[in-house]
Amino acid sequence: MPTRTLRVLAAILLLSVLSMILVCSASAASRQEVATSLIAEAEHAIVRAYEVVLGAERAGANVSGLLIDLTDAAGLAADARMVFEAGDFEEAIRCAELSLEVGDWVEEVAAELELEAVQAHAERVWWFVGVSVLGGAVVLCGALVGYRYFKRFYYRRLLKLRPRVG
Amino acid sequence: MSVTFKDYRLVFQVASLGFFLLAAAPGLSLVVSVPRGGEQFTELWLLGPDRMAEGYPFNVQMGENYLVYVGLGNHMGGARYYAVYVKWRNQTEPLPNATTSMPSTLPMLYEFRALVSEGETWERPVTFSVLEASHYENSSRVDRLVINNRTVSVASSATWDSENRGYYYQLFFELYLYDLAEAQFRFHDRFVGIWLNMTG
Repeated sequence: MPTRTLRVLAAILLLSVLSMILVCSASAASRQEVATSLIAEAEHAIVRAYEVVLGAERAGANVSGLLIDLTDAAGLAADARMVFEAGDFEEAIRCAELSLEVGDWVEEVAAELELEAVQAHAERVWWFVGVSVLGGAVVLCGALVGYRYFKRFYYRRLLKLRPRVG
Repeated sequence: MSVTFKDYRLVFQVASLGFFLLAAAPGLSLVVSVPRGGEQFTELWLLGPDRMAEGYPFNVQMGENYLVYVGLGNHMGGARYYAVYVKWRNQTEPLPNATTSMPSTLPMLYEFRALVSEGETWERPVTFSVLEASHYENSSRVDRLVINNRTVSVASSATWDSENRGYYYQLFFELYLYDLAEAQFRFHDRFVGIWLNMTG
């Protein structure tokens, strides 16, 4: 093989290696960016879900099960951050995606639970108010009627009493 | 002393008011709120390998695996979002400052997150081993640890403690609570740890 051809081949090989290195480093940088953005997104999703869960809890919903799922999501987000710092961007992306998925799901379910709890609370309020108004009215009427009967009974008894002469 | 009609009327009025309040109690309970009593706090604990407050690892050797359990109990009056940071120090490096409520400035090596309901507890195992350590004259150096199958760098050295006869390090756990107003975790003034004597 002539020397010139060998040189050309060597140059092509060198260029290929260089371009592969460039592509790989660019790809690593882009994976790093993707991981960073996904981790931040997962963290936000957990906080959003936490806020909705707190709202559902305040409305009277039982959120224990959701908190267990959200703990898993938060653990995955923490894992994502730790493996990211160790340089494993692919694993960081996988953990962050899973965390994001669970976080979003918890937020959705918590919102439904909150709505149900708010509706149940409203029904309970109406029920309590109704019972109170009815009960109060019955007691009031009973007291008025009872008072009139007692007054009549008291004075009738008083009139029947014979005066005592000392 | 004779009882007049006015006295009977007073008794009648008081009894009627009592019955009225009783009947209106469900409605009144919606308006009148009873303040929650008691202090709000979080428990943080560390247990040995048998999940008891005994048998904690003390004399540690390079390459050996050790197990402890870290746990917390929420008594804050509602669900809370916690983080537990695992840190490593020698005898001279800073611990959290209880007076100023500041965490240790040392880097976090491992992190746990937990969302816990009021009155509930959370507990996780922590396995750790010293992966790389060395001894030179009267000092010891720990370079890498494995915590829950994750390798972390520490680069911490200790000098021989002639009083207690050992090279002492501390593995400790700081508790953080998520602050919604500040949108970040804040040190919750609680930490637990164990002393380890790096023997070999």
